[in-house]
Amino acid sequence: MSDRLRHDRSYRGWLTGILIAAAILWAGSGSDVELSRLVEAGPRLAAFLGRMFPPDLSVWPEVQKGILETLRIAILGTFGSVAASCILGPLAADTISPKWINRPVRLLLALMRSIPLILIAMLMVGAVGLGPLPGILAITFHATGMLAKFYAEAIEDVNQTPVDALESAGATLLQKLRYGIWPQMAPTILRDTIFRFELNLRESLVLGVVGAGGIGFLIQTYVRSFQYEKTATVAIAIAIVILALEWINTIVRRMFR
Amino acid sequence: MNTIVRTAISLADVNHHYPGVIQPSLTGFDFSVERGATIALIGPSGAGKSTLLALLDGRLRNWNGAVSVLGNSLDAHTAPSRTDRAKTGFIFQEFALVERASVARNVMNGRLGHTGPVASLFGRFSQLDYDAVDEAIEDAGIAELADKRVDSLSGGQRQRVAIARCLAQEPELLLADEPISNLDPLSAEKTLKLLTQIRQKRDMTLVFSSHQPDLAKRFADRIIGIRAGAMAFDTCASDFTAEMYQDVYGTEAVADNALRLVG
Ligand SMILES: Nc1ncnc2c1ncn2[C@@H]1O[C@H](COP(=O)(O)OP(=O)(O)OP(=O)(O)O)[C@@H](O)[C@H]1O
Ligand SMILES: [Mg+2]
Repeated sequence: MSDRLRHDRSYRGWLTGILIAAAILWAGSGSDVELSRLVEAGPRLAAFLGRMFPPDLSVWPEVQKGILETLRIAILGTFGSVAASCILGPLAADTISPKWINRPVRLLLALMRSIPLILIAMLMVGAVGLGPLPGILAITFHATGMLAKFYAEAIEDVNQTPVDALESAGATLLQKLRYGIWPQMAPTILRDTIFRFELNLRESLVLGVVGAGGIGFLIQTYVRSFQYEKTATVAIAIAIVILALEWINTIVRRMFR
Repeated sequence: MNTIVRTAISLADVNHHYPGVIQPSLTGFDFSVERGATIALIGPSGAGKSTLLALLDGRLRNWNGAVSVLGNSLDAHTAPSRTDRAKTGFIFQEFALVERASVARNVMNGRLGHTGPVASLFGRFSQLDYDAVDEAIEDAGIAELADKRVDSLSGGQRQRVAIARCLAQEPELLLADEPISNLDPLSAEKTLKLLTQIRQKRDMTLVFSSHQPDLAKRFADRIIGIRAGAMAFDTCASDFTAEMYQDVYGTEAVADNALRLVG
């Protein structure tokens, strides 16, 4: 017995440690990392931040317009991915769809997740032109890869016995969904959707760089033309929206436990 | 004609196999139960008690033989109609409650076989439904728990919620799968007392499974012993002996349980 325990821990821990150490050494060994430059970084950063101050609030109207457009893109993109996930999620769930459906659907979702958002956005701009629409489509596509997978997991986690109890009582399929399955997964679905919305908002900040709408366009314009006081105004607007969102998120989660 | 009406359950040469399992789970079941009777099923783990009860509840598929419950023949390949499912109540071994919902909500779930199939989806129930829920909660003695969430309850309290849900259904046949296996000795006795009293009050038929021979003997009229998927004995409770008990559970392991029967 004790022998078995001793053998069990012999090599796996060491192997993991060696692999991690090797990875760090390899990553740091490239000559172009030049850690020495960190020494001068402090003063430069201070100078940079100095040029952002004081923020130029005169651009607030256009910054506000940009951030609200980003918010709209995130909301509609999330809505689109929720709609798509309501179909693809059940199809990807092991417990309710057969293998020959759920395997290909899962593969599709993994592919959708793996394509970077900015790449999809460029494709969509090519397909439907500049503006918020390609941004919304890109977010919908990209977010569905993750959200549908989350929905499938929420469905798989549903405990079957309460559903059997409703079947036994004479419930119809819809009644079983409404009173047996839905109450078990609702909090998970809600949490996952809000989480994905937060990600969508953060990720859609960059969409404007490729012309797919929102505040990203302003960031790019201001930074390229060294107008750091205006960039600071953008940063403030983004911080306000993200913090407000986190605050709402906390409240909603407390309501649905 | 009269005999058919008086029969709650009848099985003729019933066999069942879980797919991919070598041992059959039920072989050659042949018995019938009068309306109003209280039957105990006893037998060791894996004997087939839950399988038999699921069959009577219309939730088992691909068996063969002939089964009739409350005057309706069951079909081996399709689920019974909604009204027939509502006539048979089931108390699950692991309670099978919706954890995040309130006690009252769970008890109302027992009404789903009676409610309008569409209106109920929007939370609209009839006065009849609300009255049945109130009475069930009263009968199960959980009035003070009605608004609590199930995930805040103890095992014994959950058990009574499961009983209340089943009563709200107003079944004619009550099937209980090891209703006392998770309870302390005193609660176990109380629960069986409650079930047999409710059976009498509502004029139902009761079939329960249990590992406790002394309680089975006290509360049932008749005891059916199951061993390895087959009926080992079928006896009037007063004729139940320690030998029969040891016949299904094996001799050594349970000597003191058998002794309690004699004493
Ligand atoms: N879903 C299933 N799939 C395959 N085999 C099953 C399934 N359910 C039960 N069995 C098998 O069928 C046999 C009878 O099981 P059953 O659950 O009816 O026993 P039981 O008498 O209720 O036991 P316990 O006292 O432990 O509840 C067992 O051998 C079990 O392993
Ligand atoms: Mg069982």
